[in-house]
Amino acid sequence: MNTLIKSAFAAALLLGASSAALAVERGGTMTYGRYADSLFLDPVLNDANVDIWILSNLYDTLILPSDDGKGLVPGLATEWKVADDGMAVDLTLRDGIMFSDGSPITQDDVIWSLKRAANPDNGIWNFLLVAVDDVVANGDKGITIKLKHPDPAILAALTVFNAAIMPKKQFEASEGATDADKAKAFAEHPVGSGPFVLKSWERGSTMELVKNEHYWAKGEDGQPLPYLDGITFELLPDDATRILKLQSGEIDGAELIPYARVDELKNASGINMEMFPSTRIADVIMNVRPQIEGKDNPLSNEKVRQAMNYAANKEAIIQIVTHGVGTPMSSYMSSATPLHTGEGAVFPYDLDKAKQLMKEAGFENGFSTSILVLAGSQDEIGTATALQQMWAQIGIKLELQQVDNATRTQKYRDGVFDMRAGAWTDDIADPNEITSYYVYSKNIQAVHSGWKSDRADELFEASQKETDPKTRADQYAEIQKIYNATGPIIPLYETPYPVALNEKVHGFLQIPLGNNVFRAAWMDK
Amino acid sequence: MSTTVSSPGTGRRRRLRLGRLPVTLIAGGLILLASLVLAIVPSAFAPYDPIAMDYMAILSPPSWAHPFGTDSFGRDVLARVIHAYTIDMQIAVFATTGPLIVGVIVGALVGYAGGVAEAIFGRIVDAVISFPFLVLVIAIVAVLGPGLGNMYIAVGVIGWVFYGRLVAGEVNVQKRLDYAAAGRAMGYTPGRIIFRHLLPNAITPAIVYWMTDMALAILLGSSLGYLGLGAQPPAAEWGVQIADGKNFMSTAWWISVFPGVAIVITGLGFSLFGDGLAELLRTKK
Amino acid sequence: MAFLSFIFRRLLQLIPTLAFILVVIFVLVRMLPGDPASAILGDRARDADVTRINAELGLDQPIPVQFGIFLKNIATGDLGNSIHLKVSVASLIADRLPVTLMLTAMAALIALVLAVPLAFVAATRQGRVADNSIRGAFQVGLSMPVFYVGLILLTVFGAQLRWFPVGGFGSSFVDHLYHLFLPALTLALSLAAILMRNLRAAIIGVVDAEYVDFARAKGLRSRLIMTRHVLRNALISTVTLFGLQVGTLLGGAVITETVFAIPGAGRLMIDSIYGRDYPVVQGLALALAVIVSLTFLLTDIVQAWLDPRVAR
Repeated sequence: MNTLIKSAFAAALLLGASSAALAVERGGTMTYGRYADSLFLDPVLNDANVDIWILSNLYDTLILPSDDGKGLVPGLATEWKVADDGMAVDLTLRDGIMFSDGSPITQDDVIWSLKRAANPDNGIWNFLLVAVDDVVANGDKGITIKLKHPDPAILAALTVFNAAIMPKKQFEASEGATDADKAKAFAEHPVGSGPFVLKSWERGSTMELVKNEHYWAKGEDGQPLPYLDGITFELLPDDATRILKLQSGEIDGAELIPYARVDELKNASGINMEMFPSTRIADVIMNVRPQIEGKDNPLSNEKVRQAMNYAANKEAIIQIVTHGVGTPMSSYMSSATPLHTGEGAVFPYDLDKAKQLMKEAGFENGFSTSILVLAGSQDEIGTATALQQMWAQIGIKLELQQVDNATRTQKYRDGVFDMRAGAWTDDIADPNEITSYYVYSKNIQAVHSGWKSDRADELFEASQKETDPKTRADQYAEIQKIYNATGPIIPLYETPYPVALNEKVHGFLQIPLGNNVFRAAWMDK
Repeated sequence: MSTTVSSPGTGRRRRLRLGRLPVTLIAGGLILLASLVLAIVPSAFAPYDPIAMDYMAILSPPSWAHPFGTDSFGRDVLARVIHAYTIDMQIAVFATTGPLIVGVIVGALVGYAGGVAEAIFGRIVDAVISFPFLVLVIAIVAVLGPGLGNMYIAVGVIGWVFYGRLVAGEVNVQKRLDYAAAGRAMGYTPGRIIFRHLLPNAITPAIVYWMTDMALAILLGSSLGYLGLGAQPPAAEWGVQIADGKNFMSTAWWISVFPGVAIVITGLGFSLFGDGLAELLRTKK
Repeated sequence: MAFLSFIFRRLLQLIPTLAFILVVIFVLVRMLPGDPASAILGDRARDADVTRINAELGLDQPIPVQFGIFLKNIATGDLGNSIHLKVSVASLIADRLPVTLMLTAMAALIALVLAVPLAFVAATRQGRVADNSIRGAFQVGLSMPVFYVGLILLTVFGAQLRWFPVGGFGSSFVDHLYHLFLPALTLALSLAAILMRNLRAAIIGVVDAEYVDFARAKGLRSRLIMTRHVLRNALISTVTLFGLQVGTLLGGAVITETVFAIPGAGRLMIDSIYGRDYPVVQGLALALAVIVSLTFLLTDIVQAWLDPRVAR
């Protein structure tokens, strides 16, 4: 080899190296380990996070949530505008958008998809679009959503999975008499609008998604997204196995890493332990009805609830249960939720104050009560076991009852429980979803606690139609003040989403609402 | 045995001599005796309160202060292992003795009677055993609610058929042997034939299985504790402890290893004792 | 001929057994607290949604009516659809049951391969080092929780030595066998221990029994005695025990399948019980009952062959 060629070769190598450091690489299939399989991948009719959190890869919405989960970025629509009176939203569809089978995404598809999502007979998510009165075409690429009343959260609602756009023609051509039957048949061979499309699904084992060749968004290199050729979801329900599989290099990413192992993986070579900011909160929900199954209920006493809050050492629970990963809650909603107010723990640990409050409430000698925890859930058992010890100090005898999820849901819905461990993640970048469940008494009786504040109900109802951001923020500040002081919960901690990735994976994101976003993910060769 | 009917084994050269009990029986017996003492007075041996948490000493490795270390709540693992004897020995005994007694009696009667009784028994056995044991227990506990009492009920409902089928099968074979016919010819009542002649020859597998079953019951209790359906927190139970330590196998092995060792030793006690018992039963005849 | 009529009789006996199981399971799943709608919709469900979904599933009908419909459907070979997964129960069973059967069959085979020869070694060297170490090793195997053994095997042979994959099921038949080896070994350990203990005790018992003395008196060589008389008689109770343990083995598969991420029927069963997916629980229970009953029949046949007196 002569010198000239040698140096040219070296230069090429150098060039290659520097451009590799800057540019993304295309191709490859990323294997991602999940703790549970999806159930039903229909944007409107699904019921659970296992579906919700991957749906955005299959179906695009008109507007997309921003990476921090709070803002809006263009999706299938390039522009949007809420009318001055707040009674309509005008959107402009992007040019040249196509479904994964290459057929164009038309106004018809959009109108049909949104109406299907808002139909009160379909699924459990239609409440997010309850303000929608009608959806009509406007010119040749405009869409107008007419509202029954102003809805300050309507744009955020359009980013939610259930408002995703599906192909009307292909859906309606599917076998079946009812919408639900057609959805079942369509879901077997779906045609989507998202960056990926379902290729195969062996239930309980693996799900393969492949790149949608007709996806509209462009990557950093100017070519269409996604960078990956595909994603394989592997179902690995056991935490330890999921981690072992990542460590052995058989999978490229693993979700829901137990908090106890976060530190270990942070120090592991070849693995990036990501802690994606989330809207997840963990709490204890109390039944505050005056009587439960004919017996007087001490938890109905506001002072008792405050005493229990002061006696619960949240910092200790954060250490024991989340191994320092969590942060104390400063309101009933996560600090990542828009319009959140508050700083520091809602009730800082204060045993003397707790004892004083118990005395004032007439429960100096304490009482016995119980908590429903999910059988086998180390987090909930840990929390309840710690609370058991902490509350023993103010004379409260806490009995743990481990039950399966369906049993707990039933007791909870029937109002025959003392306390339960709870958790929440927002699905929409707005405080209205969590507030309608936690605070508003006319939805599910404030997380089935029986708690009710006429003032908070009134404020919530007003805020749902309030178009002035400042007034709405004030309304939410007052709701939070009322609820945090007198509400039916023990706020415990907020935690990020712990996801462990092989170091060759880049650009993967789990947004605070939980969505796993693979569209800009890429891997080193 | 003063009858003139001779069962197989009678008249063997070996005879039981006092003080010459099988070694396995003695070794197993000693382990079980020690376990029982720990089960009855755990506080005499445990260095700490098994449920007291020390947030300042979370996940401490074994040391002089905490010979088996502490768990993720800062509880002393040694104290919890010792206190768990109370619950686990209780599980071993309660979950198996009822099924043993019911199973042996029903099995012996059914095996001797044969005919319709055996047919009906056979169907019940088939139905119960056709269903995965753990799954059925989980379903029953889910209906009744979690806790040890309901666990015993769930295990009892199913467990007796194992003994029943073992004994019925053996009795069925034994009753065809000459000595049983001789007993009948001599006009002995079926009760006497079953319980004095057939059963002693037919029961050995059931007894040996019983000892294994006690070890298995601890494991089942542990599995259910692991799934959250057995002993409830903060009670110390080996299965619950192992489950507690599951996330710490690479960083704090002591949480799950010591209770695991306790299970192995106790199980060994039951097996040795069972083997010794089997040997004793054989020589005694 | 007696043998054939014995088999025929046992097959006929399957019918009441299966009927009994159907009724018990049908009632048991409906006794579980909660219902499919609340299980699917979870904590956030509204009353109207729960009522609507239960009505869609026909669960607002009286239980005898539901049972009638269920029986009618079974008679036409229709096991219904999964409430959660929205696919037919028959197709779910066809996907998942063979996986579990393969796993348990492998586990049973491994257990036999481990237990039978070692039981002979232990029994013939009663009380000596070989006996004690074999029994000690099996005891440790028996006493370790399945998930613990599974994790250790995965860590050592999967993640560290890379001899076997870390969980999963693979894609071809040979690949399946390769993936299932560690989980089958995990599952086999306790069965092997139980069989070994029983067989050892039985062999010792039989060796001491008088027909062996009689055979010796007849001047048969001891190896022949061992195989012809001892083995045959000692195997009778082992075969019974083996049959009895099949259900336990399938139950143990639940945890093994979770740890090793195997898409089997055990995990499906537990998920369906927790999810109150009535049709899947019923269909799967029926399928498992048929399988276990057939295994039973097989052990009875083997037993009858070993000891013709049983078949009468």
